[in-house]
Amino acid sequence: MGLLVLLGLFALCVVIGVPVAFALGISAIAAFAYEGLPLMIGFQRIISGINVFSLMAIPFFIFAGELMFHGGIAMRLVKFASAAVGAVRGGLGIVNVFSSMLFGGISGSAVADISALGSILVPVMKEKGYDADYAVNVTVTSSIAGIIIPPSHNMIIYAIAAGGGISISKLFLSGVVPGVLMCLCLAVAAYLVAVRRGYSAEKFPGLTALALSFVGAIPGLMTAVIIVGGVLSGVFTVTESGAFGAIYAFVVTLLVYRSLTLEKFRIAVVSAVRTTAMVMILIACAGAFAYMLTFYRVPNKTVDLLTGLTDNPIMILLLINLVLLVLGMIMDMAALILICTPIFLPVAASIGVDPYQFGMILLVNLGLGLCTPPVGSCLFVGCAVGKLPMEKAVRTIWPFYIAILVALMLITFVPAISLTLPSLIGS
Amino acid sequence: MDDTKPHADFMTPVDTALDRIAGLCKLITGVSMVVLTAIFGWLVFGRYVLNATPTWVEQAALLLVMVIAFLGAAVGVHEHTHLSVSALRSAVPDRLRKVFVIVTDLAMAGFGALMLIYGARLTVFKWDSQIPLIQLPEGLRSLPLTVGGGLILVFSLAHLVRLALGRDLRSDTIQ
Amino acid sequence: EWRGWNIHVEGYPNTVAMDKFAELLADKTGGEITLQMFHGGTLGSQPDAIEQVRLGGLEIGNFNLGPIGPIAAEANVVSLPFIFKDVPHMFRVLNGEAGAMIAEGMAAKGLVPLAWYDAGARSFYNGTKPINTPEDVAGMKVRVMNNDLYSGMIAQLGGNPSPMAFAEVYQALKTGVVDGAENNWPSYESTGHFEVAGYYSLSQHLIIPECVCINADVYNALSDDMKAAVKEAAMESAALQQQLWNEREATSREMVEKAGVVTNEIADKAPFQAAMAPVYEAYLAANPDLRPLVELIQATE
Ligand code: NA
Ligand code: NA
Repeated sequence: MGLLVLLGLFALCVVIGVPVAFALGISAIAAFAYEGLPLMIGFQRIISGINVFSLMAIPFFIFAGELMFHGGIAMRLVKFASAAVGAVRGGLGIVNVFSSMLFGGISGSAVADISALGSILVPVMKEKGYDADYAVNVTVTSSIAGIIIPPSHNMIIYAIAAGGGISISKLFLSGVVPGVLMCLCLAVAAYLVAVRRGYSAEKFPGLTALALSFVGAIPGLMTAVIIVGGVLSGVFTVTESGAFGAIYAFVVTLLVYRSLTLEKFRIAVVSAVRTTAMVMILIACAGAFAYMLTFYRVPNKTVDLLTGLTDNPIMILLLINLVLLVLGMIMDMAALILICTPIFLPVAASIGVDPYQFGMILLVNLGLGLCTPPVGSCLFVGCAVGKLPMEKAVRTIWPFYIAILVALMLITFVPAISLTLPSLIGS
Repeated sequence: MDDTKPHADFMTPVDTALDRIAGLCKLITGVSMVVLTAIFGWLVFGRYVLNATPTWVEQAALLLVMVIAFLGAAVGVHEHTHLSVSALRSAVPDRLRKVFVIVTDLAMAGFGALMLIYGARLTVFKWDSQIPLIQLPEGLRSLPLTVGGGLILVFSLAHLVRLALGRDLRSDTIQ
Repeated sequence: EWRGWNIHVEGYPNTVAMDKFAELLADKTGGEITLQMFHGGTLGSQPDAIEQVRLGGLEIGNFNLGPIGPIAAEANVVSLPFIFKDVPHMFRVLNGEAGAMIAEGMAAKGLVPLAWYDAGARSFYNGTKPINTPEDVAGMKVRVMNNDLYSGMIAQLGGNPSPMAFAEVYQALKTGVVDGAENNWPSYESTGHFEVAGYYSLSQHLIIPECVCINADVYNALSDDMKAAVKEAAMESAALQQQLWNEREATSREMVEKAGVVTNEIADKAPFQAAMAPVYEAYLAANPDLRPLVELIQATE
């Protein structure tokens, strides 16, 4: 009954147009009240939803993106990008996917990826005539490469939840091929959608123009060099690198390009705050909502409902995927990893699935959940930086979901995709 | 909204006041964003260059994020910038839509009021314990939520008043 | 029906013991009290869960005394580096008069400890060299938990205390953002930190116990018989936890040593202890009321 209050009130709020963040908060608090729990705890959950250090990547990368946009770095990146890949239909979409693949190699989280690349690439793509929904869809879905391609905070959580015996470095290696595979699928989707929408290809402007645009873009491209170099050499963590991205963008636009006026700086700050606050309040209220879902043992009950339905290993794996996908739609990752791993891992092991491979299945599923409504932090950030209503983004996102599902099925039924690389390097 | 309805003059100074409050929030959150970035630069400089990590940065940063999130969210309510699903609302007849809008504002106002009340109680409850490494009351963590809640209450009530006066600013309620 | 919080995952000694506690609780109260456990910290972080038990949202929690320190000053004394000689000493203290004083301080803040759990001793680990003297720590960036006592400890050893979110530590150790960290054997193993920081030096500088706590109002409303049953169930689960803990410590140690971790005993801990004098002085200056408690612990055989 309480669960009905939670879900029913949430749906009602969304339908009548209450902002999604407050729909989550209102329904969660109503469920707290219904259960006679102290309401102070409800608001504690809202605060704790964002009292998380690694979420700090969101404001930093968004701020860096705004500074780059208003300070002219982004414009020069557009010139270079269109000179380089403009001749390919959907070229920027494909570049976007592969940027995520590379950034996934340094960032531990999808939220850092979407905040960093989304803040820069979505405005760039819109500028080049791509539809906002296409730009947001590509960026949102490819951001989950940050989780699958090592390093990854969430893999560490999985290893701990598995109760020991899982080597984190081996787990990291297991993610490389599935991550690349997923990005390839997404790149194909990005290309096909671009062709279908008839995004026109530009004429290749010639090597001289390409070289000139490259020189102009060097300071912008250096942002990536600084972040990657700083993280790999141990100067700062990925979260901290976001602050350096923002400081670097400030210095370059102020001193090198001399294009940052006080007014442009003010606009960049105000707009970074607006986007950050929109995302943070969503994640905050989703925290209270997730607490009540955990309280009602929704993940456990869903699993109970489905186990024992079949003995067929293929059906069991498909059911596990289905349950994880559905749960991933309404709750964020970390809690689900902790709840689902101890329940599903033994089931998977009993039908001969390797724990390293199972980790990949789990993470891709829950990663996809980050890109789906109603609760998905990557979708939240993507829509916020793309200034796009959620329903608009979701209406056209399905080709990208299909791409991820194709990758997911391959990862689920072809163990070698996850296990070959670690066995080659590990021995 | 059709312009033929008479403007209620008492609302004009109220609107100005609310805009000023939102402007003040923008100033505070903007400064917080800049300070947040700067102290992280200092954190890395201290740890990597000076080999003396400023231990207060993490905890201070988490407080600044609270300020940005909750005051920023209140400004978002004032300016209607939050993510919402408007497709369904714009598909219903005008009269029903008006009901939806009123219920939305009432729900937001109620939620803001609860944020204010329970945020304040949480702040008092935690005032005695200290946040480690910065020696500030733990209660400060819930203060932005409390203030933000109060502002959401006020801004939402103002939306209702404007709606009653026929001066609502939401794109999909004008028609 | 009661609800309980525990941060540890399935199979961990504390998780098994808390499940046992739930079972014993039902047995000993004739099914009148049942406890539903939420493992893995799924209902919030440790400080949040402490708050939830104090506010009555949860009835039971398995907490480390470290994060209770900022709330109940008495509980913070166990976070003083080298306050306990070893784990058995810690239990003698907790089961004596000093333990009663700590429990009273916690009860005043709405948390009644029912039984003490073992969390072993925390030692330093890093990726470059074995630590034998305070000089070995000098200049080293060491990740510490959020507590002024822990950061003060590293600073007094000449190191650079670097607070950092737990989730970031593995990668930070790997890339060298920090040189080392400190934890007990099971955590060192289960977090995979041993893969990227292969020197574990048995400093045993912090021996922080855990407790099974109950919301004070809930506890005080129980009849004396019920109170006794609840307490007995907790104590029995603690006996199980301590046994499982010792086994788990041995397994974890064996596992990481087999993986190539270099372990070293510290022959002379006196220089480390001596270096803590300013930490103790600053602490007692800020909390003069707690001087008798600290002295009582130090005097306990
Ligand atoms: Na991307
Ligand atoms: Na990654």
